[in-house]
Amino acid sequence: MTLLLWGMVLALLIPIAVVCRPCSVWDRMAAFGSIASKVALITMVVAVLRGDWMLGLVGAISLSAGNAGMLLLANLLREVER
Amino acid sequence: MAFVLSCLFRLMIWALLTADLSAINLAIGLGLALLLPHARGPGEPLGPTLRALLRSLAAVPLAYGEALALMVAGDREREGWIERPAGDPNNRLLIFLEVFAITLTPFTIVLGLSEGSRGPHYTIHQLRPRRRRTEDTQP
Amino acid sequence: MSLLLLGAGLVLWFWGTWPLLEQGSYLSKLHKLSVSDTLGSGLILLGLLLRIPRQWPLLALALLGLVVWNTIFGYVLARCSQPGELKR
Repeated sequence: MTLLLWGMVLALLIPIAVVCRPCSVWDRMAAFGSIASKVALITMVVAVLRGDWMLGLVGAISLSAGNAGMLLLANLLREVER
Repeated sequence: MAFVLSCLFRLMIWALLTADLSAINLAIGLGLALLLPHARGPGEPLGPTLRALLRSLAAVPLAYGEALALMVAGDREREGWIERPAGDPNNRLLIFLEVFAITLTPFTIVLGLSEGSRGPHYTIHQLRPRRRRTEDTQP
Repeated sequence: MSLLLLGAGLVLWFWGTWPLLEQGSYLSKLHKLSVSDTLGSGLILLGLLLRIPRQWPLLALALLGLVVWNTIFGYVLARCSQPGELKR
């Protein structure tokens, strides 16, 4: 289980590495969306590992709220680029 | 009918959120479901919407199958653009469900909805594993 | 069984996120990202659900929210990254 958690953190490092190096803004948006859902999932897994359900509540809320701001930002960027 | 369905959906979300099936909590949820603003508009036929709902539910196991096919294929992929006929663009729920079902499966992403001479259709970007035989003849 | 689901979800995560580092077309990256973030995360949540069945309502809500939001996010990114009307 701890090994699994290490694997998840490693997978989280991939999009972070993508964001850190120069790339186009759309790549960046996709990487940030990926980071958001991965962090929420890691929160849930940590909650189950520690048996702390309040933490799980945080993860569930951030998953169901989703990245609505990111959707608005994408629409805004398209309008700006036009 | 669509009104009842949307109320039931909101009640289900409420029950999942509160995880409490006592009568008074359900009454509060029902009150909220009725009071929150509903989509206004002409009554839309229910049949196509229900069929799209079933299709988007069936898309989930299909999505896993396609993901497996993509993983097995490795690097041999082929990109393409296709078009697929769409439902009535005025029925927003129907369009939402169809876009959901198409985008959920890893082979396809919807890029837009356009009105053509042959009726409305989606523009779809497609990524497919290439078959071994066609690869042999191609190099 | 739960560990199996969690491991399969992790494999999907790695497979789907790795292409972000490579030079490929943007849309094919999005295809693979939808594999990793929607389907892989769904598998991980299912594994957690098997582990603590007592908390199923919240986990089911999280699963529903995850699948719908990530799918629509992929669609919006793909749609918005295409400049103007579609030209092939």
